Amino acid sequence: MSDLFLIYKNLTRKPLRFFLTLFSIFIAFTIYGTLAAFETAFNAGVELSADDRLVSVNKINFTQPLPISYVRKVETIEGIDSVVHMNWFGGYYQDPKAQVLTFAVDEKKLVEVYGDDLIIEPQHHEAWQKNRQGILVGRAVARQYGWKLGDRIPLNSNIFSKDDGSTAWEFDIEGIYTGSDPQVDTNSVYIHYQYFNETQSFGGDFIGWMGIKTKDPALNEQVIKEIDDMFTNSQYETETVPEKVFNKGFLEQLGNISLMITSVVFAAFFIILVIVGFSMVLSVRERTAEIGVMKTLGFRSDRIFRMVLGESIMLTFAGGLLGLAMATLFLDFLNHVPQFPVPDIILKPSIILQALGVMALLGFITGIIPAVSALRLNIITALSRR
Amino acid sequence: MKSIFSQIWVVILMNIQSMPRRFWMSFAATLAVSVVVAVLLSFLSMSNGFMKTLEGAGSDETAIVTRSGSKSELNSVLSNDIVNIITTADGIAKNAYGAPIYSPELYVVVDGIKRSTQTEANLPMRGISAVGFSLRGNVEILEGRMFHEGTNEIIAGASIQREFSGFELGTKVRFGKTEWEVVGIFSTGGSAFEGELWTDARTLQSQFRRGNSFQTVRVQLAEPGNIDGLLKKVEEDPRLMLDVETEADFFKGQGDALSGMVILGWVLSFVMGLGALAGALNTMYTSVSSREQEIATLRAIGFSNISAFFGTLSESLVISLIGGVIGALISFVFMDGLSTSTMGAGFTQVVFTFKLSPALFQNGIILALGIGLIGGFFPALRAARLPVVLAFRGGQ
Repeated sequence: MSDLFLIYKNLTRKPLRFFLTLFSIFIAFTIYGTLAAFETAFNAGVELSADDRLVSVNKINFTQPLPISYVRKVETIEGIDSVVHMNWFGGYYQDPKAQVLTFAVDEKKLVEVYGDDLIIEPQHHEAWQKNRQGILVGRAVARQYGWKLGDRIPLNSNIFSKDDGSTAWEFDIEGIYTGSDPQVDTNSVYIHYQYFNETQSFGGDFIGWMGIKTKDPALNEQVIKEIDDMFTNSQYETETVPEKVFNKGFLEQLGNISLMITSVVFAAFFIILVIVGFSMVLSVRERTAEIGVMKTLGFRSDRIFRMVLGESIMLTFAGGLLGLAMATLFLDFLNHVPQFPVPDIILKPSIILQALGVMALLGFITGIIPAVSALRLNIITALSRR
Repeated sequence: MKSIFSQIWVVILMNIQSMPRRFWMSFAATLAVSVVVAVLLSFLSMSNGFMKTLEGAGSDETAIVTRSGSKSELNSVLSNDIVNIITTADGIAKNAYGAPIYSPELYVVVDGIKRSTQTEANLPMRGISAVGFSLRGNVEILEGRMFHEGTNEIIAGASIQREFSGFELGTKVRFGKTEWEVVGIFSTGGSAFEGELWTDARTLQSQFRRGNSFQTVRVQLAEPGNIDGLLKKVEEDPRLMLDVETEADFFKGQGDALSGMVILGWVLSFVMGLGALAGALNTMYTSVSSREQEIATLRAIGFSNISAFFGTLSESLVISLIGGVIGALISFVFMDGLSTSTMGAGFTQVVFTFKLSPALFQNGIILALGIGLIGGFFPALRAARLPVVLAFRGGQ
């Protein structure tokens, strides 16, 4: 009889208990996989931000405007590849609750700065640039609202109104872009700044912020200093930071979501550790006499030690892998729900590796105490303890 | 009939008194339940605290007027003319001289440094007048003094002091080219307004180049909750494209922002509860099997199987109840009163504290008892069905 077979037999000697313990491990790793994937998706904006991109905003706060004249001035700075200006449009589709992340941009520069992230068919890109009322739509938004190429759609703004008093603008969908990485957020839509600026009713010729691409990340520091120095003591001072810093700051405004997620995962594991640990101890105790018999038959102590430890490790891996599989299925399901407005949520290899490590650790911690007591078990006591 | 109850009672007592014998297994199940309840209550108290903070800010006696469709104060813009027209509507309370009581306000966003992360965060800065103070009823200057009109002086809310740095009494802050001095700290009894910076509306208009425009008007209603006069005015005058709501309704709408957290909290704790349930079932089956002989003996001397059933079930309920109470205490000690801030509907930080309430506590206990009920039911069935003959088998 091989050790594996014995381990298997020991595991399933009480099928109900085996199933229940397996189930709680399964639950823990389902939660782990799902939340870890959500956290990656949530932080994707920071992770994917390019090193050669900067964001320049009004120093008071990024909701304060900058004059459009700044763009031409910044473009002249040595080391800058391209500058695109953006305005937050405050868009929504039909229902004020159905927010659409709408940016009014310089249509000629958008791809020059963000082209590494966005994949657009060249002819669509050209068509969008040519049509003043054209709109470039992310795949996720298009899926969410069922928009197709060539559709004419109304977008309302909760900030701006048109010169005729209405808050609805009409746009032609000229292109649908996808992300170069599944984690790239395709929830934004882009409209022409000119069209927006000329038809809105107040405060024209202002931009929200500038997205800047430098020729080399090594030049960032110098470029940042030069931009901010240029506008010191003006009516509109700027604050320029690397894209990564800006995105991170933005996420942190939402509060510490990572901490919340981590503590839930930790709590879930803690429960499982306790449950699995106690049932392991219990199941080995019940077998005291049996282990005594095995030792009498000539099973060596270290072999028994390995078997008991192997039992708990096998248990955690069985439950853990099932849990990860469940998490994958669940995420796959979520990604196919059209109304779910987030970039693809995936279990990255690093999450899976981490989970495997946790399984091994969990199996070791829960198995080590019963394994040691089995190792030390004296045959006489074992057989007399009944 | 009476004897059945006394039998059940005796067995319940026996079960509970014998729990220390199975201490570690019972302990594991208790711990599992307590963690589940603590997680649930943390999420619920977070959302509850957020809602309470915003609801506390809203009054039924004040109406808030914003540009149609703007939904938040930041997005709204009202010109001075519009302000003058809407404040002639019926249903607005009048002062001693017969003038309507209203407060046109400005709302801009400035950067503050969040203490917890040392990163920049959006803070609301409100341009306000003396009338605006009276509309909020409970404004109190805790330290320093009120700002002087026409000067670059700010008073900062007490929550700002707690969560953000850079606005201590006496500090000078720069917003662009302009420099401002914090001259006072104010409290509004824990409501959302405490997370704001306040200054003179006219000064803010000129320093932030807003011309003669405002963002919102708050008016005192002649009759609490009745905004019909304002709505009628908006309907009749084509120049007015405005939304009118009582302040209470306005903030209630924004308090829903964290309602997703309630759902997430329930889903997570339900799934974790399944894990805990497995633990409870494990514990109770072990309990039954370790007491097989005892149960069978009781049956042999005439106890009914109903009493065996209830004995096991109540053991499980006691375990889960203790777990539930411990979990609630954990979240009460560590979560209740915890101060934090998040991005609210107005694109600005809302400072709030986690708040546990008796209703939430009840939710936690119900969840715990639910786990206990299911976790005890099936093992109890097994206990009730144990064959009497087990009592006469030796050993085991």
